Amino acid sequence: MTPSASDGAAMSGDTVTVLPRPAAASRAGGLLDRLRNIEPVSLLWAALAAALLFLVAAPLVKLFVASFETQGTGAFTLSNYATAYGRQRYLDALVNSLTLGLLSAAISVVLAVPMAWAVSRTDMPGKGLTWAAVLGAFVVPPYLAAIGWILLAGPNSGFVNQAWRWLTGAEGALVNVYSFTGLALVIALNSFPLVFILVKAALDLISSEMEDAANIIGAGPWTTMWKVTLPLAWPAVLAGFILVFLETIALFGTPAIIGIPARINVVTTQLWQFFEYPVRVEVAAAYAMPLLLVTVGLIAVQKLLLGRKGFVSQTGKGGERRMVRLGPFRWVLFGWCAGVGALAVVMPVLVLIQASFAKAWGRGLALDNLTLRNYALLLFEHEMALTSVWNTIWFSAAAATIAGAIALLVAYLVNRRLVPFGEVLGFLCMAPFVIPGIVMAIGFYAAYASPPLALYGTATLLILAFTARFLPIAYANSQAAVRAVHPEMEEAARILGAGRLQSIARVTAPLLKKSLLGGWLIVFILASRELSAAVFLVGPRTRTMSVLLYDLSEAGNFEVLAAFGGILLAITLVLVAVGMKLAGRDFMLRRE
Amino acid sequence: MARITRRGVLAAAAALGGGRAGGAAAQEQQLLPHERELHEAARREGELTWYTGQMQAEPSEAIGRAFTERFPGVKVNVVRSTSQVAFQRLSQDARAGVAQCDVFSSVDQSHLTLLKRQERLAQYRPLNASGLIPAVREAGDPDGYFQVSYLAIYLIGRHRRVTEAEAPRSWRDLLDPRWRGQIAVGHPGFSGAIGSLCVALRKLYGWDYFRQLERNRPHIGRSAGDPVTLLNAGERTIGMGVPSPTTLLSIARGNPLALVYPADGTLMVPAPSGALRNAPHPNAARLFLEFIASPAYSRATRPFFAESLRPEVPPPDGARPLDQVPLLMPTAEEVERGIPEVKELWRDTFGV
Repeated sequence: MTPSASDGAAMSGDTVTVLPRPAAASRAGGLLDRLRNIEPVSLLWAALAAALLFLVAAPLVKLFVASFETQGTGAFTLSNYATAYGRQRYLDALVNSLTLGLLSAAISVVLAVPMAWAVSRTDMPGKGLTWAAVLGAFVVPPYLAAIGWILLAGPNSGFVNQAWRWLTGAEGALVNVYSFTGLALVIALNSFPLVFILVKAALDLISSEMEDAANIIGAGPWTTMWKVTLPLAWPAVLAGFILVFLETIALFGTPAIIGIPARINVVTTQLWQFFEYPVRVEVAAAYAMPLLLVTVGLIAVQKLLLGRKGFVSQTGKGGERRMVRLGPFRWVLFGWCAGVGALAVVMPVLVLIQASFAKAWGRGLALDNLTLRNYALLLFEHEMALTSVWNTIWFSAAAATIAGAIALLVAYLVNRRLVPFGEVLGFLCMAPFVIPGIVMAIGFYAAYASPPLALYGTATLLILAFTARFLPIAYANSQAAVRAVHPEMEEAARILGAGRLQSIARVTAPLLKKSLLGGWLIVFILASRELSAAVFLVGPRTRTMSVLLYDLSEAGNFEVLAAFGGILLAITLVLVAVGMKLAGRDFMLRRE
Repeated sequence: MARITRRGVLAAAAALGGGRAGGAAAQEQQLLPHERELHEAARREGELTWYTGQMQAEPSEAIGRAFTERFPGVKVNVVRSTSQVAFQRLSQDARAGVAQCDVFSSVDQSHLTLLKRQERLAQYRPLNASGLIPAVREAGDPDGYFQVSYLAIYLIGRHRRVTEAEAPRSWRDLLDPRWRGQIAVGHPGFSGAIGSLCVALRKLYGWDYFRQLERNRPHIGRSAGDPVTLLNAGERTIGMGVPSPTTLLSIARGNPLALVYPADGTLMVPAPSGALRNAPHPNAARLFLEFIASPAYSRATRPFFAESLRPEVPPPDGARPLDQVPLLMPTAEEVERGIPEVKELWRDTFGV
């Protein structure tokens, strides 16, 4: 895992070997002799283009085509669309998803913006704790948080409601997780770090001079914040809002776990229903199209809204930045951050830990309720549990490595303008960003599950899907990293006789290793908790922890689930710790 | 159908109720000649993959381990989910043209009859089946494409907070407004058992039963076993259509639950298993079917309170003998036609 110069070389070597054989062969096979004299960069471009077409473009095209195909014959038809939109219930699910996305995104903004402002611009105490809360919320997989909140806010047995009844003597429940707002809140408590990271990064760039100007003409700190600071961060708020919205409408685990008891059907759970017998991939494809359109539309809206540049002074961190003195209000703000941290991380994780050692979680902390059975069952009696841990680790590692390698090479080609049409590669790398994971999984199923490739149930299929799904994150990371390294160092290497690839391997990669490692770990962690893509693509021997957790959740056996979640969290925490040690404390939350 | 009077079932019930002393366990350990032969062939295959929606995850894993214990060198990949999800996975495999599953077990009998019709099952009548309780043997496929591996019993569970006196006595009683916000139930889109229950109750009372049930706002999970956890936690007090084994196991572990045998019929599903025709491990699959029909299987599931399939293994502790309770037992044809219908009706009535 330690990246070094030789690793860099191995990475670029991997990319070529990992290529889908047919694509690579048709492009490079017979032409190889003639191409020998061409600069390797052109070959690399072709190889990367083929890889990206295979990973990103082909599944999407296949999905689009399938939505117009008759099952079995493949003849053109519009009946899939008629079926997909022919029932009120299916349309309701669409509306539910959009509403849920908006609500979760709005709650996330409300939660995160004050925290970002407090950490970036004020003298609030306890910033380290706030960081920890954000990181914690980012690390806990959404479906685990959902289970935590079922334990906390089940209307009768949830600990919060039990405490409420005990305190007030009231009959009813204070909070009900099985409701639309409950679902939206649980999702927001898990997604707000996305807003936080973006907004804080934007606020970090705003120099105090603008705030000073406002102060001089008579504005107090609050007016300044509302009228000057926050408006400057508006693009970041919007970006965060859209990100959470996209995450929410593509989420599968939380709506399946909370949404069914809450009687809320959403697009993803409806897509799942189209995979019931008889499997209707074509209808699912048709039904997935609006999800794609909505996301593409949103990105367009964002571009439109932010078309006029100049929100942020692009002078880097040149200006002086002083912390706003809040006086006693800093404790109010600290209370807010601590409250969000408690709701998002501390409380759900504590109840999960309690449940994982409990015979019956509802009986609370009692000596006769303590047991190690749940862990023993998973570790010693459950044939698949440990296999799935191993699957998760190596699929995620492979996906992170492939995505990192492709992303680095593309970012490099684009940034250094080495090839014509490099931007096309960049665009393909970023495209999965607007494709909900579940839609991408259906595309992969449609394109690669069946012969000739027959990848269904293989590790390859999952690794490729994870790679494609998280390519944008790896690419954004690589792009930022590559941009930060001036070409003159490579030029020096080349003057001394190194080839292009050699200079990347020996000079650029080592310079980038910290940020590349950070990017690798982010992709790894996201892949290790990925459910919505995995759930359609796993086979009996390639089940990941997230899918096994989902299977276990069917029977609502929360004690065993919590224990399994505990194992998953322990693994993640070790990796985060490694990442912090190797790539810097803020590697997961950094944004260049 | 309401109160099944078919001779076979009564015979089954009598046999189940009877209870015999277990045979000499040591003798059982020795493999029969046909088992030894299959074991040799299966060992070369090394493993099998078992999609099951019958017992819950924990007993299913225990069955897999018991198999490997009896037939060393053959590992079982247990893929436990609800029956409908198991069938969904099998359908996805078929759609992709990939064979991954060796043995398929479901609580929805129509899955197996459908697979048989589509010629996707291998014909294999286990020799061990001759020693099964007659009714169990007879409930299997006459052509030998599948056999019963689980006598699935579903009834009403109650938290002891609800006393025996005030507890509901029938499915009908669950419509009483007293149980508003108290009932928990699985989902026919996932659980084959709840699908069968819906088919049976629709036949008894019409779909209006479920419209009235919705007025009591039941908590809807996915698996039929889901309500047991909710009852343990005290989230709800009445479990509708809970599996008898899961509930009895939970009671044995000290949870404050009790079973109610509904006056209008306990649901019994003779849940089948079959080997796939395109099974990647055909010998291991056959050996697994032999195992299911052997006393070793009934002995392995007994600690998890499953009904015994063999006369030499006594029925589980704490369960009522089945000849003393009225039974609901929808036929495979009723289930095959009914489940797709009730799934749609359910989603329209309950919104999910």
